[in-house]
Amino acid sequence: MSERISLPTCTSCNRPIAPGEKAVKFYCLNCGQVVIWRCEKCRKFSRDYKCINCGFIGP
Amino acid sequence: MSYKKDYEEKDESGSSEKLVIAQLPERTILATGIRVGTVVKTKYMENFISRTRPDGLHIIDLDKILSRIDIAGRFIARSDIKRTVVCSAREYGKKPVEMFCSLTGAIPMIGRFMPGTFTNPLFAGHIDPELAIVTDPLIDAQVVEEASNIGVPVIAICDTDNVTSNTDLVIPGNNRGRRALAAIFWLLARIVLIHSGALSPDQQLDHSIEDFETKIIEE
Ligand SMILES: [Zn+2]
Ligand SMILES: [Zn+2]
Repeated sequence: MSERISLPTCTSCNRPIAPGEKAVKFYCLNCGQVVIWRCEKCRKFSRDYKCINCGFIGP
Repeated sequence: MSYKKDYEEKDESGSSEKLVIAQLPERTILATGIRVGTVVKTKYMENFISRTRPDGLHIIDLDKILSRIDIAGRFIARSDIKRTVVCSAREYGKKPVEMFCSLTGAIPMIGRFMPGTFTNPLFAGHIDPELAIVTDPLIDAQVVEEASNIGVPVIAICDTDNVTSNTDLVIPGNNRGRRALAAIFWLLARIVLIHSGALSPDQQLDHSIEDFETKIIEE
């Protein structure tokens, strides 16, 4: 019996983010309702992220 | 840069009647050169540019500047202001950052950012920030790098030639101009105070944009 650990996923690329991995999380800057995760690569390459609550597109 | 500065003071083509901020005409904001970019345009900043002048300078969309300042202000108001660090290695950002921090309670970091400030807990000047705000992601690259290493969100004022790596919110704007930086931090301070309930939207700040300007000392 194996338990699934649900990892947070990058809001831009949907890739799971492992604990300890270089990433950032913050509540949507616009609405403050949804947690946005950005993986190291998406952040570095400045890939867009979109809030599923208010539609805000950053960075 | 002096080429750009010559033009900065001349960007006043806006409506003198349209009020952007309570009692503040659009013309007053534009006169600071806030939307005057550089002759270089990066792909990251393309969406924020409204047009290119015949002299080659890219002009940033004022509505987008104001909208991003509003979003940044809301986010800062929700953050722990005592763990919000505002940085400027650029001389012209010095007074604006100091004024912003004295009004809001954020931590100013002026001049050279000592490596390890965020990442080395053994460093005497170590700070454990919740949010980092930079005046220019290129000049303040060390701050952005360390914030990225410890997973702290970054808000950056970005000009048309900036690369927005490791920036989580772009505030587009002229980040070279003395008066432009004063205007950006004045607007940001006002919005933070409004969103944190310390100022009502129809109220003015006790300080003018001019109070936020780094003064030029003639020798
Ligand atoms: Zn990603
Ligand atoms: Zn949102």
